[in-house]
Amino acid sequence: MASLRDLHDSLGDLGRSGVRWSLGFSVSWWHVVYLGALVLVLALSPSTYSRANRAALARHIVLGSAPILPWFAMLSALVSVVLIRIVIVTAVSYGLSQYALEMVIRVLVLELIPLTAALFVALRSTVPSGAELTAMHARGAFARADADPLRFELLPRVVAGIVAVLLLAAVSCALALVLTYAALYGFSIAGLQGFTRTLGQIFNPAVALILVLKTLFFSIAVALIPVAAFLRGPQAAQTRAAGVRNSPELESLVRLFAAILVIEVVSLMSNYY
Amino acid sequence: MDDTPTPVAPPPTPAHLEFKASMLLLALLLLVAGAGLYLSYARGAFERTQQLVLIADDSEGVSVGMDMTFAGFPIGRVRGIELAPDGNARILVDVPVKDAHWLRESSVFAIQRGVVGNTNIRAYSGILTDPPLPEGAVRTVLRGDATAEIPRLMAEARQLLQNLSTISASDSALSTSLANMQGFTDKLKGPGGALGALVGNDADAQKLITTLDRTNTLLARLDGLASRADTQLFGGDGLVRDARTTVTQLNAVLLDARTSLTRVDDVLKEAKAVGENARVATTDLGALRADVESSLRQVDGLINELNRKWPFKRDTELKLP
Repeated sequence: MASLRDLHDSLGDLGRSGVRWSLGFSVSWWHVVYLGALVLVLALSPSTYSRANRAALARHIVLGSAPILPWFAMLSALVSVVLIRIVIVTAVSYGLSQYALEMVIRVLVLELIPLTAALFVALRSTVPSGAELTAMHARGAFARADADPLRFELLPRVVAGIVAVLLLAAVSCALALVLTYAALYGFSIAGLQGFTRTLGQIFNPAVALILVLKTLFFSIAVALIPVAAFLRGPQAAQTRAAGVRNSPELESLVRLFAAILVIEVVSLMSNYY
Repeated sequence: MDDTPTPVAPPPTPAHLEFKASMLLLALLLLVAGAGLYLSYARGAFERTQQLVLIADDSEGVSVGMDMTFAGFPIGRVRGIELAPDGNARILVDVPVKDAHWLRESSVFAIQRGVVGNTNIRAYSGILTDPPLPEGAVRTVLRGDATAEIPRLMAEARQLLQNLSTISASDSALSTSLANMQGFTDKLKGPGGALGALVGNDADAQKLITTLDRTNTLLARLDGLASRADTQLFGGDGLVRDARTTVTQLNAVLLDARTSLTRVDDVLKEAKAVGENARVATTDLGALRADVESSLRQVDGLINELNRKWPFKRDTELKLP
């Protein structure tokens, strides 16, 4: 009898946990959307840009982008050089060197660099930033009467995340273009016209729009999703001691990867179908 | 144990924070704006263009944005492809005004498709002194398709291969001829040689050789015969000498005969005179005969008269029973 009751209890726990999980899943995505709306409203209201708030915004933008920018630029340049070399050598060996430039740009600038920039910013900047926010919330840092956590902590972190992704992607794309040109034509401006023309052919309005939208959605996802864990309240931080399974960083990271995957798939489908 | 969280010291604030943040934002803005401008320039947004319409029966492989080249240099860009009401494809090409002078009234346009599938639109201007191509000109485009020739080539190659395999089959005429030729050369190499190969078998070849031998023997005998005949014909007592004598004698005989003939001629002259005399006599005989006939008619009339007058006149009329 006792074992039957145990089984019944465990099944009940399983069912409750399933319901709880799906409920939590929906609530967490709702938090993301809600936070996005909040940030949008705050970003559009002039009172946000008071002197004190501007300082907080500047601090988060600088701390979120400047330290990782050189590293990321260097790493992406290194990987770009290797990939460019591989693609060009392969294309030449098949006698298709006229397609090498198009392939390099499609692979690097359109697909790889925005994705890696988003992941890099998420891992180095926004996920720790979200965790820090949750920890501050758990410590009761926002419980003071004069605290305005949305305006002083949340908005700057989200904006910093968005700026970081856009900046990293833009710098690395520009770097990759320069490296591609150098790998194809050497350090001479003789090939600039052909290069420009090929770029113009690749970046037709649809492709350019998809690239811009994709990068923008990457940056929004990377900036919002880790910070949205903050809205779950202090208990989220308190339960983190219960185990890794409940760690808010891990949860937000998983959610972030899912969002990035969806954005990438949608962009690929719109580009190539 | 104190439960209240200890305030965490904020990380050190970098100097010139707002300036650095502005610089970062400015850099981002510049990069994005620069990329936008560069791409617009690359797509020809800042150059004045004139339109050219190419009419093709098949626009396969042509895509929006692809180049039109002149002597290998891109001088135009496909802006759109549309299907005309007559079923032809209208390829709208934007040609920058600065490059438009390469296109003339007499320019020829061609769509060329390579074997690996790349398609090019090419312009050819033979006479660069012709008037320039006007804005919105409509030209028919030629197709130079490397792959279009492949099916025909394949069909012909297949036909050729079929013919070759028919020719080289084991039961083909060529193969049989070659086998026969081999048999022929084998016979050539055989004991009968070319003669055996010609007549077919060795027995016949042997017969032919025997015939040749006998012919040789016959010829030898004929030779002896000829020498003997020579002796008999042209020898001291030969037939020719006799014949010559005979001919001499014959000449004498002929002389005699001529003399005799002269005489006969004379005789004939005499006879001719006699004949003339006879003809005169014959003429007289005609007159005589006329006289006799007249006399006879008179006698006949006399008798008839007598018969009428005679009392014993008979009924001369015949009566049929």
